[in-house]
Amino acid sequence: MRKLKLNHTSISFLPIIVCIPLAYQILINFHFGGFELFQEFIISAFNPEINNEIIITVFKRLNQTLVIALFSWLISIIFGVIFGILSSNIFYKIFNIPVFFYNIIKFFLTIIRSIHEIIWGLVLMQIYGINFSIGIIAICIPYIAVNSKVFAEQLETIEDKSFDAINQIHGPKFSSFLTLIWNRIVNTFKNFGLYRLECAIRSTVMLGLFGIGGLGTSILLSFQTLNFRELWTYLWSLAILIILSREIIKKIKFNNLNKNLSILLTAVFFTTILFTFSYFLYFIFNSSSVDFYSINSLFKSSSDLVFLDFLKLIIDTIILSLLSTAIAISLPPFVIGIFNNNTSRIPIRFLAFLLRLIPPPVLILTLLTFNNPSLSLAALTLGLHNAGITSKLLFTNLDSQDKRNYIAMKSLGASKNTSWLLGLFSQQAKSYLAYCAYRSDIIIRETAIVGVIGSVGLGSQLQESLSSFAWQEVITVLIAYSIIAIVGELINGKIKTSLT
Amino acid sequence: MKNILLELKDISYVKEKNLILNKINFKINSGDKIALLGKSGSGKTTLISILNGTIKPTKGEVKYFNKRYKELDVNQKQKITTIWQDLRLIEGLSAEQNVNCGLLGKRSFYFAFKNLLNIASFKRAHKYMQSCKIPQSIYSKEINKLSGGEKQRVAIARSLIQESEILLADEPFNNLDPKLITLIKKLLLTHENKNNIQTPSTGLVSLHRLDLLDGFNRVLGIKDGEIFFNLERIKLKKSHLDEIY
Ligand SMILES: Nc1ncnc2c1ncn2[C@@H]1O[C@H](COP(=O)(O)OP(=O)(O)O)[C@@H](O)[C@H]1O
Ligand SMILES: [Mg+2]
Repeated sequence: MRKLKLNHTSISFLPIIVCIPLAYQILINFHFGGFELFQEFIISAFNPEINNEIIITVFKRLNQTLVIALFSWLISIIFGVIFGILSSNIFYKIFNIPVFFYNIIKFFLTIIRSIHEIIWGLVLMQIYGINFSIGIIAICIPYIAVNSKVFAEQLETIEDKSFDAINQIHGPKFSSFLTLIWNRIVNTFKNFGLYRLECAIRSTVMLGLFGIGGLGTSILLSFQTLNFRELWTYLWSLAILIILSREIIKKIKFNNLNKNLSILLTAVFFTTILFTFSYFLYFIFNSSSVDFYSINSLFKSSSDLVFLDFLKLIIDTIILSLLSTAIAISLPPFVIGIFNNNTSRIPIRFLAFLLRLIPPPVLILTLLTFNNPSLSLAALTLGLHNAGITSKLLFTNLDSQDKRNYIAMKSLGASKNTSWLLGLFSQQAKSYLAYCAYRSDIIIRETAIVGVIGSVGLGSQLQESLSSFAWQEVITVLIAYSIIAIVGELINGKIKTSLT
Repeated sequence: MKNILLELKDISYVKEKNLILNKINFKINSGDKIALLGKSGSGKTTLISILNGTIKPTKGEVKYFNKRYKELDVNQKQKITTIWQDLRLIEGLSAEQNVNCGLLGKRSFYFAFKNLLNIASFKRAHKYMQSCKIPQSIYSKEINKLSGGEKQRVAIARSLIQESEILLADEPFNNLDPKLITLIKKLLLTHENKNNIQTPSTGLVSLHRLDLLDGFNRVLGIKDGEIFFNLERIKLKKSHLDEIY
């Protein structure tokens, strides 16, 4: 008997096995009661409510969403640059600062990054109450850390040779430093920073589902009143907003040699810093009483968490991330491979678009209409949402790929599916898996969202502890999340380096 | 007595267990124009990097203006300028911005900042670019969009604008056509101070082509990291060259 040989292609497909236990658990929990609701939800997608009243509301909500998203985007990019510089080794090299500080800042940013913005939002809302600026702060905290990681990574690619050459001119250290990093910063902003606006919009909507305002809150309210037609009006307007923002960003011909643009950007840069700092100070001084109260209660509150229960929550969370990652990895190649013809591509793409568009909390709520909450359901939700994202990448890469192997195999008489698998996908598999490893980092953090809504793992505990003001428990849960995310990131990092 | 600017005493350099430079001794006097000859891989670039202080020798001592590198102040360090073999220009900046980078040593941080925003004055840069025969049409072009020869001249202009006393040039004539080579060589080797353009009084230039030796007063031959000859140019014989090539 020949042994099953594991290569990148088979590894991409193998995780689909998780669908079997998943399907089993979901079938057990199935109930027909809410199936009509689900049907209505689907049908409403093609029949959203459109009238004067709702259009005005949509514009109001879009406005709120956009303001939160824009501010958090701007602040998180600018402070991302600053912290990116502070966590890049070239900074320490030029200014001869002990690496000790480098390690401290890196560690601090890793911790902050490991906790999803939704959790930051939930915790901050519980302390400070629902407030417009809480949304911005909740998004900014992890975003600054994520952005700074990307900027720092780009700064690390500055060669020692360029460093020597500029150093050799012996100008003021700040001059040499800025000259060296300028272009990397500008390019990273162009390639990564602009795209973060879309992420900020999505995060704002997601926070809205937890009450922060804007489009997300409207989506939640229409869901609670089971007004699906209205719900879809909001979802489609979100789609339009995202597509529009993407197109506008594509249109911006960002030329860093353009004088006026440079001056404008610098002005925006410094104004934002100034504004953020003054707001930060205002925030601290105005809410000191709340601060004191919450710190006090942290020590007073007792924890009812039993160690074994807690362990189970952690394991649940890990399983949840593994299952979701498995779906996100293998579902796209599976579906695209089986339905490999031009007509079925369009509905697949459309479905993937919907899965990306619908925020995971809404997705899980819809699935909950005909299913009891379970770990499988949460995993399915998160997996489907992320499969929407990985499939987009897969489609883009497949489209731009050289088709010669595929055509050659087909002309040799291989079936369409086999030729697709061996002629097209097998060449993608490695880079696809590498991207999935990166995606997995995000999935681990997103387990918090479905956890809170779908009552699974640490998310459900967080919800419970927050609403009973059990701060010690909250802290324990946060630490657990953080550790899972950091360990996951380390493992994924190893996988990524072995794949590239 | 001649004024000694740079002095190498028993310099050896080891990288990854390979002996790249072996017991190098020589001096550069004020006003010297030295041609550094040697096959590719003989150690010219390494020697130049030691001379400008970017790499530290494994053994031996380098004296700059009779001091060790650590003891130099910024003004003294600025007296040495380098044209790198691999140019080391900054991508994403225009030609004129790159040339302006050479002024970083003489100007404040504010200037550096304005230069990056592309709102600094380019008057000085243009003067030097003009003397390097860089066509006006490419002043504001991004460096990646220039040809090899154009980049080479931008690197030369960036080095000259530093108005240093000592020029270390590593194969600066690469990618240039014969007419430009004559012109640039004259620019690098004749110490001048006219049209507001100042060129270095002392220079060490590594090169391959033996037909370019006129204009130098001394010739240094290097092979496998060792100096084979160090003599006045007029005393150079064909046998010397056969030794190193
Ligand atoms: N970074 C390096 N690491 C290891 N060996 C090097 C390095 N740079 C140069 N060398 C070696 O040192 C020797 C001299 O190189 P180099 O100084 O560049 O010579 P040249 O400039 O005369 O061509 C060569 O044998 C080269 O292989
Ligand atoms: Mg060389």
